[in-house]
Amino acid sequence: MNLATKRFSPAQILSLLILIAGAAVVLVPLLWTFFTSLKTPAEVFKDNFFPAKWLWSNYSDAVQAIPFFNFLLNTLTILVPVLIGTVFSSALCAYGFARFRFKGKKTLFLVLLATMMLPSQVTMIPMFIMFKEAGWVDTFLPLIVPAFFGGGAFNIFLIRQFIRGIPRDLDESAFVDGANRMQIFIRIILPLSMPPLIAVSIFTFMGVWNDFQGPLIYLNSNEKYTLALGLSMFKGLYKVEWNMLMAATILVMLPALIVFFAVQKYFIEGISISSAVKG
Amino acid sequence: MRKSNSEWSGYLFILPWLLGLVLFTVGPMLFSLLLAFSRWDIITGVKSIEWVGLDNFKAIFQDELFYQSLKVTFVFALISVPLYQIFSLIAAMLLNMRTRGMKLFRLIYFMPSVIPAVAVSMMWVMIFNPEYGVLNRALALVGIQGPAWLQDPSYALGALIVMGIWGIGNTIIIYLSGLQGVPEELYEAAELDGAGRFRRFFSITLPMISPTIFFNLIMGIIGGFQYFTQAFVMTNGGPLNSTLFYNLYLYNKAFQDYEMGYASALSWILFVIILVFTLLVIRSSSMWVYYQGDDDKD
Repeated sequence: MNLATKRFSPAQILSLLILIAGAAVVLVPLLWTFFTSLKTPAEVFKDNFFPAKWLWSNYSDAVQAIPFFNFLLNTLTILVPVLIGTVFSSALCAYGFARFRFKGKKTLFLVLLATMMLPSQVTMIPMFIMFKEAGWVDTFLPLIVPAFFGGGAFNIFLIRQFIRGIPRDLDESAFVDGANRMQIFIRIILPLSMPPLIAVSIFTFMGVWNDFQGPLIYLNSNEKYTLALGLSMFKGLYKVEWNMLMAATILVMLPALIVFFAVQKYFIEGISISSAVKG
Repeated sequence: MRKSNSEWSGYLFILPWLLGLVLFTVGPMLFSLLLAFSRWDIITGVKSIEWVGLDNFKAIFQDELFYQSLKVTFVFALISVPLYQIFSLIAAMLLNMRTRGMKLFRLIYFMPSVIPAVAVSMMWVMIFNPEYGVLNRALALVGIQGPAWLQDPSYALGALIVMGIWGIGNTIIIYLSGLQGVPEELYEAAELDGAGRFRRFFSITLPMISPTIFFNLIMGIIGGFQYFTQAFVMTNGGPLNSTLFYNLYLYNKAFQDYEMGYASALSWILFVIILVFTLLVIRSSSMWVYYQGDDDKD
């Protein structure tokens, strides 16, 4: 694999061909969905891959058939507070674990690691009963409030590892200058911890956007559905045409794909970091 | 900075997590354990919880659907975990080539992993449609009459496994970063010693990325036991319970039948199974996982 030679070796050509075939396997289903979303209902059942005429009106119809903007608003109503809660509380706890000495810290940290292995199914049922008794079922609260309590063990862990790499001299000199620990956290630690905070934000966005089981359990009335939940119900509730269903599917994919392409560098780095840290 | 009040500030900073631990983890776990030995009624709620001893577990071990869901989950995990690992590793090695355009390929391969599982499921329901889906149309082009996929009990689980290959981007990226951590000198030295491609793969690459394989293996097993959205949206366990994943059965018991006690018992069985498998993989890991610079690990 010499960079200087422009010509490919036979092994490289074979590798490239395999890669291209793989890329086609990834892309064809997406393209088929996209092109079908632009067809007329009758055309859906014909053999042509491309639509004869690009029927963009399928999208405006789909947006009305499922109350898309209503579902979008619901999703954002959950997303924004969860994002704020997760980032702040996980950074706060990570700072506590990274920079302070207190009794039982080692044990607590081990407990934190252990909770990552706990399957959510074990706590799902009691949490539902708890929230039901509190009268929170069919509100967004069960999906939002837990984010403010630590923001997830894995996120704490990720940020803590990063903070440990920030030189302590920075804290110490600010301390000498009379800053208290909260000020040190906000003015020094947070601005320096942007890489893990961005990774945590992206994972949180994806988590909320993709979450299906949570909304399915807690949200009962149609007008409270998130996009993910609304899309799945679209299949059962209405007698729908394929082209509209495809258009709605594309619309739900789109924001996730846009975020992905906008921040793909952090995304791929974040996954590499997280596996390196965990493994 | 290590004055006596530092201790209290430490607790103060981790207080959100401590509260969350009690409220959303330890508390619910204890409650769930109680529920596993109780009967719970949706209408009267918490007030009428009734201790029934081992009844839930006894009923579970005579429940045919419980065994069916275990079978589905194990078959899925046993086939899909190794299959996805092999595909991911091959893809990662190809993507690790130093030629132009690799960045674009990486983006394409990773893309499916960011698409919401519900949207992926809806898309594949249409792809798998026996008459109009693109899969059977493509098969027809080469003269193969495709099966009814999701509507056929002997193909439905296989269809979900095939679909999963489409979304292995996450695993590919993790392997890719593992591969990039292998020191180049090792390959150069081996090449000088006359080691061929396959020899280099089995003697260098595989041992060096064994921690990554180990990590992906555990995640894959746990993932199989938590598989839910696709099965719920695409087949809802059918046809003939051929895709009744454990987690789906648990959900049905808890939130369709409202048998919270029974479902809690199911969730503890799930917990124990995952724990046993994870410990098995960890225990056996010393036999095949190689950690570089093991001594200075803290």
